[in-house]
Amino acid sequence: MTCAVVHPIAAAGSVRGRGRSAPAWSPARWVAILLCLGHAPWALAQPVALPAAATGDAADQAELERALSRDADAAGSASAATPAPNPAGPAASATNWRTILPDISLILDTALGAFIGAPRQTGAHDPAQSGFNLQQLEMHLESSVDPYLELQANLVFAQFGVEVEEAYGRTLAAPLGLQLRMGQFLTRAGRSNPTHPHAWHFADQALVNGKFFGGEGQRGLGAEVSWLAPLPWVVELIASAAMPNGACCARSFGGAQAINVGGPRDLAWNLRLEQFFDLSQRAALLIGVGGLAGPNSTGFWNRTEIAIADVMFRWRDPTDAQRRAVTIQLELMGRRRQVPGRLLRDAGLTAQAVARLALRWEAGLRLEHVLGVADDPLDPSWSQDRTRSTAQITFYPSHFSRLRAQVAWDRRPAEARDGFSAFLAFEALIGAHGAHSY
Amino acid sequence: MLLAALAWLAPAAAVAPGPPAKVRVVCTLADLAALAREVGGPDVEVVNLVDAGQDAHYVDARPSLMLPLARADLLIINGLELEIGWLPPLQRGARNAAILFGAAGFLDASTAVRPMQTPGTVASRSQGDVHPAGNPHYLHDARAAAAVAQAIGQRLAQLDPGRAARHRGRAAEVSAALSAFAEAQRKRFSTLPAERRRVVVYHQSLVYLLDWLGLEQAAAIEPLPGIPPNPGHIAKVLVTMRAQAVPAVLQEPYYPRNAAETLARLAKAKLVVVPGGADVDRGESYLVRIRRTVEAIHVALR
Repeated sequence: MTCAVVHPIAAAGSVRGRGRSAPAWSPARWVAILLCLGHAPWALAQPVALPAAATGDAADQAELERALSRDADAAGSASAATPAPNPAGPAASATNWRTILPDISLILDTALGAFIGAPRQTGAHDPAQSGFNLQQLEMHLESSVDPYLELQANLVFAQFGVEVEEAYGRTLAAPLGLQLRMGQFLTRAGRSNPTHPHAWHFADQALVNGKFFGGEGQRGLGAEVSWLAPLPWVVELIASAAMPNGACCARSFGGAQAINVGGPRDLAWNLRLEQFFDLSQRAALLIGVGGLAGPNSTGFWNRTEIAIADVMFRWRDPTDAQRRAVTIQLELMGRRRQVPGRLLRDAGLTAQAVARLALRWEAGLRLEHVLGVADDPLDPSWSQDRTRSTAQITFYPSHFSRLRAQVAWDRRPAEARDGFSAFLAFEALIGAHGAHSY
Repeated sequence: MLLAALAWLAPAAAVAPGPPAKVRVVCTLADLAALAREVGGPDVEVVNLVDAGQDAHYVDARPSLMLPLARADLLIINGLELEIGWLPPLQRGARNAAILFGAAGFLDASTAVRPMQTPGTVASRSQGDVHPAGNPHYLHDARAAAAVAQAIGQRLAQLDPGRAARHRGRAAEVSAALSAFAEAQRKRFSTLPAERRRVVVYHQSLVYLLDWLGLEQAAAIEPLPGIPPNPGHIAKVLVTMRAQAVPAVLQEPYYPRNAAETLARLAKAKLVVVPGGADVDRGESYLVRIRRTVEAIHVALR
């Protein structure tokens, strides 16, 4: 794409003008030159018609144009990506604009909620009040940056503000099976933490994720390296380090209390090993183990460690016209926190089964149990265990919208009575949204 | 030491001496794999990701699909966004620079064909799950397959210059055979009476096939692409079928069959289950698969 094509003003000023109809240095030409400078990488990659005034001599100009054209020919023959016969020509290449514009999508999640007993949701995007709730309006942008990197950003709009949920660069072509990410991202700790509400099978976040990680899940500014081992089955090793701060998103570490990072020990570290097995053409198993470690807010070099094991079994006949499938997922997390004079231990289990019943219908069951700690100085509201059972049924009018009815029974001995909730959640997606991982 | 271990394990480090290695080709669809096998012959090793019996719109992005991608020299995709719901995370997860978008080892086969049903200036999902770049189901058309075979041959010739002539030669052969077949079938179908050249389809996936064979699509069972049929729409399709005496309902095996079976019975038409692609596990060639398709349709229409 030449500068002249991108900017019609530039074309008018430099090619058709030829210094006759327009004065040599008209404002239009200045605009054209500035725009051309702004797009220098594109402009250099393609033959450019030089403005006569830029060289002052027609013969010089012709010479330069020939040279540029030879360069362009050489670049064309060196690049190996073009030779396919294309009778369509312009029709097919007209879609190339999409490679310059990032993919942009907007996802609205709202819910009508009804609670019996005080709402005790732990997710920041959960329906948290009786009546209508805006869970989130998520804007996702992604695109390649250059041949080496892509950028992904997830901006979440609430009713009264915007947050940068995720924004990271990721390598496209690192050697040795490595991939690097840098920026703000959800930590790949367990199965559900790195996913967005749009990909969840329930209208709210798992309880243990809220307790251990925070309402937004475990995330932070940091860097990650992951490695796909060259083995006959899928083995991926993931390691990351991130800032340990934020009640929203590093609750077991610094939480609301800012920790000054003085060295690697002050970061929240994550390690995960993920393995995937094709049991048959229909059945698949994914197993992950790993853990997080970092400083906590009680000072004195006190630390928090979280161990996570998860397993997912999925059955789907890929030839089934109704696309029926069953997915069973277990996620177990254990945590220990050093606090002055004590070592606090707790754990949580999330077990869920989700069945795609037909083209447009899905149903799910989720059982959660989270241990409490008596006289927990960091989390006084979690003095006792909590058990929540959830059921949902979802209707998908199309691939881009869903209506989900969900009920839950929350047993919490710490309070006088149990909690019950019912949600009617609605989601709609517009734009180009990147595909989700398995 | 860790780095040394990594380097030892990395496939890039394991360059074997001896006869030149086969080009490792990964194809997203069975038809592409069949064409790549015929064009590449003994000089390629082809892995297919999605079987002919599966709907390529809805594929589970199993992480195991990353493994052939990680060691591929060439990835051939259907394009026109058919694989957009599952391929990108796999392509990225494979961490193989050779097959990324725009690389020499990445071939979007749709660049070899003229897309149909390009929505022009307006592409809106109020029209269903439309593909903004055009209808992606061109592999049901032997003419398009002929062009794709040529494109595969050219690309293999670039990636494997030592055997370029062999790749180009085989591509020309395959392409010529498919073009001849396409032309013969077009003539054969044109001899059918006009009122027998009407069909009902399930999804908008056979427009290239119908265009090639000179058939007319009287109606589609899906009211809009990707939207399952409702009784009101089915009733309209039945009225159309009866009024026009439509002789056949065509659909791929991975779409629900109840509506089509009922319509065929009530309108006294034949249901033809069109293969989703070549049966590459059994070594079926593209020409055999497309002949199988065309014969089944011809039997229903004549």
